Amino acid sequence: MKLYVFRRSLLDGLSIAILISVALSLILNPTEEQWLNLPLVSMIFMGAMLVGALVSQILNSIGVKTMGQNLFEPDFEKAKQEAKSWYQTFWGWHLFVTVFALFIVGLFKTKFSFYELTNEDGFEGAKRLFAGIFNPNWDVLPRAVLNIIETIFMAFLATFLAIPFAFFLSFLAAKNIMKGPVPFLIYTLIRTFLNVTRSVEALLWAIIFSVWVGIGPFAGMLALMIHSIASLTKQYSEIVETVSEGPIEGVQACGANKLQTIWYAIVPQVVLPYISFTIYRWDINVRMATIIGLVGGGGIGTMLIKYQGQAMWAEVGTIIVVIAAVVWMMDQASAYIREALK
Amino acid sequence: MSEHILKVKNLVKTYPNGVQALKGISFDVKKGEFLVVIGLSGSGKSTLLRCLNRLHEPSRGDIQFMGSSTKTESIRNLRTKMGMIFQHFNLIARHTVLSNVLMGRLGYTSTFKSLFGFFSQSDKDQAMKYLKLVGIQEKAYIRADQLSGGQQQRVAIARALVQNPQILLADEPVASLDPATCHIVMDYLKKVNEELGITIICNLHFLSLVRQYATRVIALKNGELVYEGDPKNIDEAWFEKIYGESAKEVHIN
Repeated sequence: MKLYVFRRSLLDGLSIAILISVALSLILNPTEEQWLNLPLVSMIFMGAMLVGALVSQILNSIGVKTMGQNLFEPDFEKAKQEAKSWYQTFWGWHLFVTVFALFIVGLFKTKFSFYELTNEDGFEGAKRLFAGIFNPNWDVLPRAVLNIIETIFMAFLATFLAIPFAFFLSFLAAKNIMKGPVPFLIYTLIRTFLNVTRSVEALLWAIIFSVWVGIGPFAGMLALMIHSIASLTKQYSEIVETVSEGPIEGVQACGANKLQTIWYAIVPQVVLPYISFTIYRWDINVRMATIIGLVGGGGIGTMLIKYQGQAMWAEVGTIIVVIAAVVWMMDQASAYIREALK
Repeated sequence: MSEHILKVKNLVKTYPNGVQALKGISFDVKKGEFLVVIGLSGSGKSTLLRCLNRLHEPSRGDIQFMGSSTKTESIRNLRTKMGMIFQHFNLIARHTVLSNVLMGRLGYTSTFKSLFGFFSQSDKDQAMKYLKLVGIQEKAYIRADQLSGGQQQRVAIARALVQNPQILLADEPVASLDPATCHIVMDYLKKVNEELGITIICNLHFLSLVRQYATRVIALKNGELVYEGDPKNIDEAWFEKIYGESAKEVHIN
């Protein structure tokens, strides 16, 4: 089976399964207990997906183009038909109905309510909060500054320690370097490992490390470091994959071995983008470090959650000002530096 | 002049995508020759050169270089004896000219030393010597990407020469240069050939250059060898056979 047919079937199956599920739950109106019966629910959903994939297959074979077909079909197929406005096509309505259904389900799932948004009691609370935030208590400023310095250095050390690991791994995670069966296996393993690591958010790493090494900046730094290694390696290796082949050939023709080729032909080509991405990563890490502080990663985030818990909004206001100022400055500085490095 | 430095027998190269770039090519190269390979784009010229120093691994056939098969020799050893220059020069843009030339010594330098940039004084002296030979020693400390195309190609020649090669492979060395610069670079290749006695195998497009510089010519067409002989004997009929009937010869002066 062609790859795009598989993708088409998956997407169409999913969209039709969602529509079937919505219809079923409206008709049958299942109880909470029934919803929690995961084997049954997933069986029904899988069945619906199968039906959807079949429907998609039938529609496409009789020349009606579904959403998945329109998205995934190869370019030469696309070039065969004249362009039509979306409302004149089946796939257009398919997409519309799917997105509409998702929107409605979304409203129910998030318990969307204009009543709560405009409810007077709640509104009073918000007013108190804003009154506090807009009248910051500057007495806590020295401590806030001290804590944000801790946050900045958490981010700095995390980035700094991630560089050597990411630098080393990036070459092993680059397709153009890892040619041949064994290198490709290593490449695949490292890529998979990095993807899994990256899919665990820094926030979750922080929870893990705050149990491991105790609540505080060290836990936050470790969490950011793990996340930075995974992210930087991916970005670095993508740069390695775009280097031009010419200099590599040139150095290889001189009798250079693999390491010499990397060092003399590839590293000079990637070093500036590496620095650029690294500075950007530090910038991102400062932002993440404040969030990580909320779950016990130390720094300004920990201070923020403390005052928030006691509803001391004036103190929270001060902290927000400090965070905003630092994030803004980091953002500007890193943008200027990256611009100059181009 | 009669000693054979290179013997190529039934060389076949099939790429993984199924394209057969070379379909069984045999020829010999004598020491000190200036052998030019001509043919249309896609006729297999570049593949041929890259098979010689195993930048591309030959699929079948045998290449005897200085009496031993290139298959059995270590790649590193083989390549130090075969310098190569390219159409797009393939220098490292961010490094200085001198550093680029020193890269020709990588095949002789241990990995550890080269990672720290430790090249011996004699390596540096040699590099300067060959920069002088190609007439750009005063540019030694300039970044390579600051030079013009012709100058970059001369740096590339110097880089190939510090390898102390027996053969210099030149893959369309003047194809991305203007006509005037073209002759300067070709003249340096001729100098290398005549003064240093280095055998040259060079891919070229322009027949007028071929007649001026080559001591012998081979022509490829669709991965097969269709002509071998003296450049002066390529007449109208041969030209049409090599390049196709509708082709017209372009002169470059």
